[in-house]
Amino acid sequence: MIARLRIDQAPILVLLLICTLWLLIPFTMAVLWSLVDPSGTWTPDTLLPPVISLYRWEFMWNNSLLQPALLNSYTLAPTAAVVTLLLAMPTAYALGRYDFPGKETVKLIALLPLVVPTFVTAIFFSSILFQMGLAQYRFFAILLAHAVLFLPFAIRILTVSFEQVRQDHVDAARDLGASPLERFRVAYWPALKPGIMATLLIVFIQSIEEFAIAYIVGTPDFTTVPTLLYSQLGQDFNRSNAAVLALILAVPNVILMLILERFLKSANPALSSGKG
Amino acid sequence: MIGVSANGLVMRFDGVTAVDDVTFDVAPGEFVTLLGPSGCGKTTLLKMISGFLQPHAGSIRLGDEDITRVPPEARDTALCFQSYALFPHLSVRENLEFGLRQKRLSRDERRRRVEEVASTLELDPQMDKLPNQLSGGQQQRVSLGRALVMRPGVILFDEPLSNLDARLRDQVRILIRRVQRDFGLTAIYVTHDQSEALALSDRIFVMNAGRVEQADTPEALYYRPRTGFVADFIGGANILRGRLTAQTAPGEWAVDTPIGVLTARVDAPRRGAEVHLCWRPETAELAADGLPAQVLHRAFQGHFTDLAVATNGVPYRIQVPRTQAREGDEIRFRIAPEHVVVLEAGP
Repeated sequence: MIARLRIDQAPILVLLLICTLWLLIPFTMAVLWSLVDPSGTWTPDTLLPPVISLYRWEFMWNNSLLQPALLNSYTLAPTAAVVTLLLAMPTAYALGRYDFPGKETVKLIALLPLVVPTFVTAIFFSSILFQMGLAQYRFFAILLAHAVLFLPFAIRILTVSFEQVRQDHVDAARDLGASPLERFRVAYWPALKPGIMATLLIVFIQSIEEFAIAYIVGTPDFTTVPTLLYSQLGQDFNRSNAAVLALILAVPNVILMLILERFLKSANPALSSGKG
Repeated sequence: MIGVSANGLVMRFDGVTAVDDVTFDVAPGEFVTLLGPSGCGKTTLLKMISGFLQPHAGSIRLGDEDITRVPPEARDTALCFQSYALFPHLSVRENLEFGLRQKRLSRDERRRRVEEVASTLELDPQMDKLPNQLSGGQQQRVSLGRALVMRPGVILFDEPLSNLDARLRDQVRILIRRVQRDFGLTAIYVTHDQSEALALSDRIFVMNAGRVEQADTPEALYYRPRTGFVADFIGGANILRGRLTAQTAPGEWAVDTPIGVLTARVDAPRRGAEVHLCWRPETAELAADGLPAQVLHRAFQGHFTDLAVATNGVPYRIQVPRTQAREGDEIRFRIAPEHVVVLEAGP
């Protein structure tokens, strides 16, 4: 019994170890680099930085474009999430609730934008914006681009959600005299909720992290956290400053991913109730 | 209590006629079953009565009101779904209460009705559970209760027992009939199970290919089927083609059939007429002076013995209470004229 447990557990333990190292090492490095004080340079022959302080954090906060970048990113991302959700809803509803010839093809076409590299989309999208004279409304231009870019995710997730709405629940609600609003609340919402939350979170995270469009359409006067990060790495190559930005970018996303995971897990028990 | 009537209902799907000119009348308080094989149009008919399908022609009346164009949410009908369709995130109490909330009834009235139904259906201990914590039979009762609290003019059942095991099915069947009587409901019940239909119904509408073949009491359907389809679908029947040869007694005629000469009661006889005869296997009696038949197979069933027999190569069935006949034996039997039914149409 004990021997078998060990045999079963060994690969799991190894896997856990690898994953931990995979995540932990870069994160630890980022944290350490962000704490390096300029008075003592961290050379490869020492394990830990010689002088540790929050100087870099204060510096970035006060002397870089971090504050407007954060404001931009955290305004853009939730707006993009909501806009994408609203744009995806009608298509997802049609794909999830109706049968029509060529439905599978439409599903596939809806996913196609995912295979085009973001930079390619970004370049041509920005040229369209310039031609239309919309490029100076940078926030809305990026918002629109993000919505277009992340629409495939949203449509895919929400289509599955709409497919999970059971017609007999809708019919039962109707038979019992429910108004359209009440029908939505009792038959649609419980099935759609996990998908809506997942869509909002995924688009939010994707939008926060998106670089190509934010860079091509946004520069020079609209900064997001990723474009700021790029300028720290690409133009100035200051590893400590970049580490600060990387953490600011990544930590909230990790937390959101954990929340997302919970939503996706909780999606099933409410719906799988045998015949119910 | 309120009656339902339909006049000339027609429904087509992609050029296929699912319901073909159906007219019927269901009296207040009556329990009517729509019975037929799958694809006969019985569920389509039920969906038209509940309002989920709009007929292409014809009208439906609930009492004196024409409801053909009334949407399901505004109809005084309540449907028990085959899948139960309970809301999985609502407790049993909330499921039962759902329809009453839509009606904007007062809290007291809601509680009174829900409690009444819950105690009738013995659901009190389950009130705060979620549907997926209940057994199939309990879910079925909640589904029934959710329709009952509405006190509908007509309660509709769409194969409600098909997801239950055989033992539970009998219990719920009795419950449904008792509740229907106690609450004084007009009920329309869809099933493909003839024993369910025979046991529950005041009247059965036997449906075939979109039409009502015969609408009658269970007894009349069984003993006086009008068509070969009805005879065959309800219980086992032997159906033979024959020709009227001679009158043997007032109203009784000798019929020449491939298995020999049978005597049948005929209402409007015509010498030489080709007819289809139907008789039930259990109406045959063993008799030394009867028709001969070769036993092909014997199956002892307890209270009767099922014999698969043949005469002149025509196979048919006979059920007798007790017999020593074995495979290969020749038996002789007769059928009383009142048990031989002349059909209006063949199978």
